[in-house]
Amino acid sequence: MQRKLMLGFFSVLFVLYVAGPVLWLLSSSLQQESEITAVPPNWLPPNPGLHNFTAIFTAGDSAEYANRGLSGFLPSGAANLLPSLYNSLQVGLWVAVLNLVFALTAAYAIAVIDFRGRRATLYTVLATRVIPDIALVVPLFLVIRNLGLINSIGALVVTYLAVTLPFTVFILISYFEGIPRDLYRASRIDGCGHWGALRHVYLPLSLPALVAALMFAFLTSWNEFLFALVLTQSAAAQTLPIIIAGFVMDFTTSFSFVNAAGVIAILPPVLLAVLFQRYIVAGLTAGAVKG
Amino acid sequence: MAAITCQGLTKRYGGVTAVQALDLAIAEGEFMVLLGPSGCGKTTTLNMIAGLEEISDGTLLFDTRDVTRLPPHKREVAMVFQSYALYPNKTVAQNIGFPLKLRGVAPAEIARAVAEVAEQLELTALLERRPNQLSGGQRQRVALGRAIVRHPSVFLMDEPLSNLDATLRLSMRSLIKRLHHKLRATFVYVTHDQAEALTLADRIAVMQGGVIQQLDTPEGIYERPANTFVASFLGSPQINLLRQGLPRPGWVPAGREVVIGLRPEDVARPGDGLVTLSGRVELVSPLGSETQLELSVGEATLTLRVPKDWRVAEGETLDVGVDPARLHVFDAATTMRIAP
Repeated sequence: MQRKLMLGFFSVLFVLYVAGPVLWLLSSSLQQESEITAVPPNWLPPNPGLHNFTAIFTAGDSAEYANRGLSGFLPSGAANLLPSLYNSLQVGLWVAVLNLVFALTAAYAIAVIDFRGRRATLYTVLATRVIPDIALVVPLFLVIRNLGLINSIGALVVTYLAVTLPFTVFILISYFEGIPRDLYRASRIDGCGHWGALRHVYLPLSLPALVAALMFAFLTSWNEFLFALVLTQSAAAQTLPIIIAGFVMDFTTSFSFVNAAGVIAILPPVLLAVLFQRYIVAGLTAGAVKG
Repeated sequence: MAAITCQGLTKRYGGVTAVQALDLAIAEGEFMVLLGPSGCGKTTTLNMIAGLEEISDGTLLFDTRDVTRLPPHKREVAMVFQSYALYPNKTVAQNIGFPLKLRGVAPAEIARAVAEVAEQLELTALLERRPNQLSGGQRQRVALGRAIVRHPSVFLMDEPLSNLDATLRLSMRSLIKRLHHKLRATFVYVTHDQAEALTLADRIAVMQGGVIQQLDTPEGIYERPANTFVASFLGSPQINLLRQGLPRPGWVPAGREVVIGLRPEDVARPGDGLVTLSGRVELVSPLGSETQLELSVGEATLTLRVPKDWRVAEGETLDVGVDPARLHVFDAATTMRIAP
C-alpha cells in the first residue's frame, strides 16, 4: 500500500515536472501581458482569449500593432514569425524526405549486402555522431559559405541531413537486421534485384522504423538552434527557433506573444507524435530484442 | 529443365573453407539430395547453386550456360526455405503470384496461374489469408506454390520439412515426391534427415566437412557405404562398428587392422551358413512392429533389431546368426570401405 502511494506521489511529481512548463505555456498564451506578469501568477487564464494568436496572424498589419496597446505591444520582427514557420516546415520536410532516400539505401547496403569495408562504414557513420555539434559549427560555416549557401534554406537542409542521417541509418540498420534474412533470399530468388528487395521486402516491413526515423529527422530540424543561428542571418531563411529567440532579446519582452508563438511552434511536432505514436515506440525499440 | 554441373565449387569465409572443391553433376530431371550433419556444407552448396552465396572458386553450369557469377534473380531457379520465408505483408495469393508479378505477367494470367497452383496444393480456400493466419503445413504449401507457379527448371529445397511435425512431414514428403514426378524438373534437396533422403532421392550426396563422402543411389549408400562416416550416418539405429567382437570375413587379409560393421537388422536365428554370436540381452525395447535389443557379446555391445515374435527377456542368453556377406568391412586407419 505504502509502495503504491509512493509510486503515485512520485509519478504525479514527475508528470508535473515534465508537463508543467508546457501547461504554463498553454495557459499564458491565452492571457494578457499584465495577467502573465501578475504576482501571484494566474495559473489559469482569468479572461482567456485568442488575442495573442490573432496578433501573430496579423503581425504584418500595422493597424493591429497600434491596437495592441501598451501591455500588448508587438516585438520588432513579429512579422517574420509566420514566414519562419513556413521556413521551418520546409526545412523539416526536406530533411525528412532526403533522410528517407539516403537512410533507406544506406541502411539496406550496410545491413543486407556483404561488401568489403561494411563494418568500417558502419562505425564511421556512427562515429560522426560522437562529435558535439558545437565543434562542427565553424568548419561547417566555412564549407557552407564556400558552397555559396549561407543564408539559405539549402544550408540548413544540408547541415541537418548530415546531423540526422547517422542516427536514422542506425535505426534502420537495427530494424533491417531484425527482418528474417530468408525473406531477402526468397525475394532474390523470386526475381528481385537489390532495388526490388528494398522495395518489396524491406520498405513495407520497416514502416515503424521509417516513421520513427522520419519523426526524428523532422523534429531535430524543427528544434535546431545553433546551426540555424550561425548559418542564416536574414528572415528569408531563418527558422522558428531563431525568430522566437529574437523576441526575447529585445529591451522588453512580450511574454504573451512569445508564448503564443511557442504554442504554434510545438503544435506540428505534437500532432505528428500523436498521429504516429504507435509506430514511434515500436521503431525506437527496434532491434533491441530479436523477435 | 536443366542439368547442373558443379566443377571444383569452393566456398571460403575468411580462413574457413565451408565447401572444398566440390564436383557434382546433377542430371536433368534428377532428384538429388544433399545429406549431412549440421555444418557439413550442404546448405552452403545449395546457396551457391541458388546464387545466394558468392562462389569463391570453381565453375557452376546450368546445362552449358556458365552461371557462376550470375545473381540469383537471373538464374531462374525456385527455392523453398526451412522457415517458409513467406512475405508477411502479402496474402497467400499475392505470395504465390509474386514471382510472376516481378516478371511482368498480366494480372489476369497471374490470377489464373495462382488459382491453378492453389487447386493443386489445396490452398484455394486460403488465398485471401495472410501467412500469420496459416498453420505450418499450410505455410509450407504456400512456399511450394510460390516455387512451382513459374515452372522453373531447377527447384532448390533447404530442409523444407524440418519445421513440421512428424505426421505432416510424411504427407508433405509424398507431396514433394508427387510434384517431382509431375514436373520432372531438376530438384536439389538439402536435409539432415536420412529418411527424407532415402525416400525422395534418385541419388544422394552424403557430405561431411565440406566434402562429398559418397555419391550414389539410396540403395547404394545404404548397402555399400563408402566409409565409416556414411555407414554410421545412415540407418537407425546406427550401424554397429567394432574392431573386435564381430566375425571377420574370410577374405579379409590376416593382419590388416579393420573395423567391422553390422547393420542392426542384419541378424537372424542361427542357421546354415550363418556365424552364430552368443551374448546376454541387456535391454529390450519393443517398437511395435519389431523389437530393439542391446546384446553384449564379450566386451562389445551390439544394437540389434529383431522380429517382434522373438520374445526375448532382459538378462537371458541369446544366440543370433550373422551372414558374413552382410558385414561391412572398413580399413581401421583410413575408415574407407574394403571390398572382397
